Amino acid sequence: MMTVGSQVKTCYASIKNIEATLGILANQTNEVDARNAYRETQEMITEIKNDLEKQVLTLAREEPQYNQ
Amino acid sequence: MPDWIQIIIRAFSLLIILFFFTKWLGMKQLSQLNIFEYITGIVLGGIVAIHVSTLDSPIHFALISMFIWFIFPYLVELISLKSKAFRNFTQGKSRVVIQNGKIMEDNLKKEHYSTDDLLESLRERNIFKVADVEFAVLEPTGKLNVLPKRENRPITAKDLALKLAPDREPQTVIMDGKPLLEPLANISLNPTWLETELEKMNVSIENVFLGQVDSDGQLTVDLYDDTLAVPSPSQKPLLLATMNKCQADLELFGLATNNEMSKQMYQRNSEKLQKAIDYISPYLR
Repeated sequence: MMTVGSQVKTCYASIKNIEATLGILANQTNEVDARNAYRETQEMITEIKNDLEKQVLTLAREEPQYNQ
Repeated sequence: MPDWIQIIIRAFSLLIILFFFTKWLGMKQLSQLNIFEYITGIVLGGIVAIHVSTLDSPIHFALISMFIWFIFPYLVELISLKSKAFRNFTQGKSRVVIQNGKIMEDNLKKEHYSTDDLLESLRERNIFKVADVEFAVLEPTGKLNVLPKRENRPITAKDLALKLAPDREPQTVIMDGKPLLEPLANISLNPTWLETELEKMNVSIENVFLGQVDSDGQLTVDLYDDTLAVPSPSQKPLLLATMNKCQADLELFGLATNNEMSKQMYQRNSEKLQKAIDYISPYLR
């Protein structure tokens, strides 16, 4: 069974994936508008990622069985 | 000199002259020519036809008459470019035949345009009811241009207040199995990038008939072998799907947790992610 900790961790990984993909798209496009949009979204996602990272650490501490 | 050699020489030289004259007279299409340009073209062709096959007339007669029929329309066109009044005189003016949904009978009469002609031209534009027309202009070339009433015009993204991402023209980067370096450089990509993308699609460049890159750097290809399936670009739809999934997950976590602080954190971030999705989704479609 997936514990809450592992679920949050999966979500955290997906968020990191989104962040990286946005970075790739921003580099691929040669449209200035699109590049700025991708970069701005990437920044928003980074904020979410930082929040989630803290949560992942907290949960890891609260669910010791998950660390084993 | 035998006659047949003369005819060959005349045909070739006049053909070449005619080619350059028509080139210098401009790039207009036949349907865009006004009556004067149309007649000029026919006369030029006629002069060539007569002098190629009639050996009694000396060749310089052909050159003189062709030159006059070339230089006159050429000058007329040159002056027309500079002067609006002269242009109105030589090319004619467009005339309004329907305004505010009402037919201007006098203008129709001036152009010798019958009601049947008007209805026919409207039908060509798929308009069968005059009441659907807001405005119509009869151009000097005889073409009728129609502005339908607002409610009869096709819906655009603007009407729906849709936000669309701007895009540029796609670049053709592979033709007949060979990479085109100049278009690639235009979008600041290199052949190595192309190789990697093709490798990802699992196709070799020799098998690609046509390959294009859109302004977002996505490659689409058409293969010689039409039985092979080519993956369509999936990066952007996949990203949007992942974002939506994460947003739903965060919302779920927020509902599931009992910890008030965590609940707030999840809710805040789920809202933030929703905002990011709304913002970026026009670019990902």
